[in-house]
Amino acid sequence: MSVAGFVVVAFMLTMYVMLDGYDLGVGAIVPLIARSDRERAAAMAAIGPFWNGNEVWLIAAGAALFALFPFAYAASFSGFYLPFVVILWLLMFRGIAMELREHFASELWHQFWDAAFCASSALLAFIFGIALGNLLRGLPLDRAGYFQGTFAFLLNPYALAVGFFAVATLALHGATFAAMRIEGAPGQRALRVVRSGWWLVLVLYAGVTALTLAMHAPQRAWLPLLPALSLIALAALAWKARRGEAAAAFAASLSFIATLLAAAAATIFPYLLPAFPASRGGISIFDAAPPASALTCALIVNAGGIALVGIYGSIVWRQMAGKVRVE
Amino acid sequence: MDPVLADRLQFAFTVMFHYLFPIGTMGLAPFVAAYTWKAAYGGDAEATRIARFLTGLFAINFAAGVVTGIPMEFQFGTNWASFARRSGAVVGQPLAMESMFAFFLESIFLGVLLYRRREAPAPFAAWSAVLVGAGSWLSGYFVIATEAWMQHPVGYSIAAGGTIVLADVWAVLTSSFLGWQFVHVLTGALVAGSFLVGGIGAYYVLARRDEVVGRRLVRAGAIAALAFSALAVFPTGDANGRNVTAVQPIKLAAMEGLFASRRGAPLAIIGMPDVAGGRLIDPIYVPRLLSFLAYGNFEADVKGLDAYERDLWPPVEVTYYSYRLMVGLGTIFVGVAAIAVALLALGRLWRARWALWLLMMSMPFPYVANEAGWVVTEVGRQPWIIYGLMRTGVANSPTVGSGETIFTLMGFLGMYCILGMLVVYLVLRAIATGPQEDAT
Ligand code: HDD
Ligand code: HEM
Ligand code: HEM
Repeated sequence: MSVAGFVVVAFMLTMYVMLDGYDLGVGAIVPLIARSDRERAAAMAAIGPFWNGNEVWLIAAGAALFALFPFAYAASFSGFYLPFVVILWLLMFRGIAMELREHFASELWHQFWDAAFCASSALLAFIFGIALGNLLRGLPLDRAGYFQGTFAFLLNPYALAVGFFAVATLALHGATFAAMRIEGAPGQRALRVVRSGWWLVLVLYAGVTALTLAMHAPQRAWLPLLPALSLIALAALAWKARRGEAAAAFAASLSFIATLLAAAAATIFPYLLPAFPASRGGISIFDAAPPASALTCALIVNAGGIALVGIYGSIVWRQMAGKVRVE
Repeated sequence: MDPVLADRLQFAFTVMFHYLFPIGTMGLAPFVAAYTWKAAYGGDAEATRIARFLTGLFAINFAAGVVTGIPMEFQFGTNWASFARRSGAVVGQPLAMESMFAFFLESIFLGVLLYRRREAPAPFAAWSAVLVGAGSWLSGYFVIATEAWMQHPVGYSIAAGGTIVLADVWAVLTSSFLGWQFVHVLTGALVAGSFLVGGIGAYYVLARRDEVVGRRLVRAGAIAALAFSALAVFPTGDANGRNVTAVQPIKLAAMEGLFASRRGAPLAIIGMPDVAGGRLIDPIYVPRLLSFLAYGNFEADVKGLDAYERDLWPPVEVTYYSYRLMVGLGTIFVGVAAIAVALLALGRLWRARWALWLLMMSMPFPYVANEAGWVVTEVGRQPWIIYGLMRTGVANSPTVGSGETIFTLMGFLGMYCILGMLVVYLVLRAIATGPQEDAT
């Protein structure tokens, strides 16, 4: 049961990165693909109908963690108080920028919102990457399971490397989305970003994977399979982008992210918050597990909810399909 | 500063600010849905313009609600870690349901409503509007389910180590305390939505612009305002009062400023509580009415604050005055709406400029009443965070100091100050632009 809970939380976070990832990524590369005010408006319109629904995956993952593993929720959210609040502020700022841009007529205001949108998107990707890096590396926890480290601890070289990798990966992801969804010049430029940018992702991927393997020798025999699959997905991405098939490149990018996160989840399993150094254990799904009644309820709710979201998603996607024009 | 106090201030500020926007969305949702529906199926040109206009207002509220809602969800973990740890297995459930069943519905279909293509079929828009409205009511329901459980815990058991364990979800989701609280909250939001619609209409009529639309808005708003204001008083307000009497009698005593227990207790219409002296200063009483309102019997025994240990008293003055504010405003709303509807029925409203002014100036006050009601509810339940089970004083995060909380509170203050100004600017501009043929 607890394992199912872990899978649900990991699944929801993966959905979050796959979906909100592309709109964060579009934000990070806006200056590269859009030159004029109208083009930037098109870039925002490309994600306009979707980003809010995508962000709900993060809220839902937080709520699922709260309901399923309250110990881990309490320890991580309060232990990383300031980073969490910074994430909140960035999410808020980004939301405000996107929601309000079109309400102001002046181009000066537009430039302000566009810059805010770009900076907050890129910073969020960076911070999420740092968080993931620290999760993989382990955290200094006290007996009660609360975080006992400092900012300096969190900003270690490994976590920073994962942070840069996250920005690059999501930027690439956003670029494939933009190439698929925007007509005309911005779409073309996005495709060019994909074609030239995937090298950088490949290099960072190799570096981060090597560092991770050096830290955690794979404990399960099948574990190296996942990074291998990621590599295949990345190759497919590059190949499809070269042939100009943006939708296929986007699909490959989704699989790239999914396999990466699956590998990360498999690495820390069964811990939700692994300790640093690793010999100290951490908060595992068994320590943090709620009683069976709560677990059953939360699992049913989340499974039912995920099914419903699939239904809405397919209806809406059909209605909104097609490309956004620069007007 | 005491870290718990800092956390309480931060929570109170952020939740009260957040709540301003759900009032708007839950209150406007039925109007948006009704006009969008009419525009799609009945098809007159004004309905389309009104639907567009109200959808715009709804969207501004929604955006601000989303932006300020995200910190709420996180704060249980960041600021109230001990509370989250102990009760997450229960409290987390309705919150998880809220995300899965309400937020996705709302945000996905609002995207459709705002960004749909011109050539998209109109019925699709109508259905989306209904689904978005349903989503906003559902999210209200699940949040209130969480909150009502903290006011009146049911369906739980206590495990070794003091962790609170879910025993029966249905009991949590269907308690009668929750039922009445939810319908009262919803009515409160609908009162605000109706006065908003009626007030904006009154402005157009007074300003002699968009008069046809203005009159329709006044008519719909005034009639709805009368219905919902009446429902806020009876049965929902009354039932809430009885529930409080049943499960939190100390809160009742504080709300009413009743210091000494007595049989046949009078209702104080006004008066200033003097907590040190244990009495009301300059009260005006209606004899025996409190006993009747609380227990349906003029002779019933009502417990006063003196029946309880001093450390179980909530802050009396705040609870008392906020309650007067809500109930006083509630009574005034019924009056204002009744005047408007009566003049409307007599066909004299369009000449009675003073009544239109009254309607227009009423717009902000339902917001005040709603927030005051929350202060009664939340301050009145102190010192408990989970009534009878966990005290607020031990619920905070052990690793977060008051310095950090105050720093982030300042950040929220600054951010919300700017956000508030932007929202006010946008709403005023939307009203000034008016219901136009081609507004998107
Ligand atoms: C426009 C808004 C509005 C109006 C006119 C009223 N209320 Fe109210 N009231 C609320 C909006 C509200 C609220 C903000 O929605 C609250 C906060 C928590 C809740 O359940 O609803 C509330 C709470 C609340 C509570 C506390 C519930 C608790 O502690 O759990 C009581 C006893 C009442 N109300 C009773 C009344 C009565 C007798 C009214 C008659 C005039 C009244 N309300 C008018
Ligand atoms: C939107 C409506 C709400 C408003 C306006 C509101 C208002 C307040 C206020 C004013 C306080 C401070 C009381 C004090 O410290 O003396 C407070 C505290 C609190 N409320 Fe609410 N509340 C609302 C809804 C909720 C909901 C839905 C929940 C739970 C899901 C909740 C949980 C809490 C908690 C955890 C505290 C902090 C502990 C405490 O001081 O009691 N509130 N709220
Ligand atoms: C502590 C309590 C609260 C928490 C944790 C909370 C959480 C949230 C979150 C995360 C969102 C954004 C959802 C999205 O992205 O679509 C949101 C919006 C919303 N909240 Fe709250 N909220 C709280 C209090 C309330 C209360 C008391 C109500 C109503 C009774 C309410 C009603 C809504 C509604 C209707 C929305 C949808 C957006 C909107 O209509 O503004 N919330 N809330």
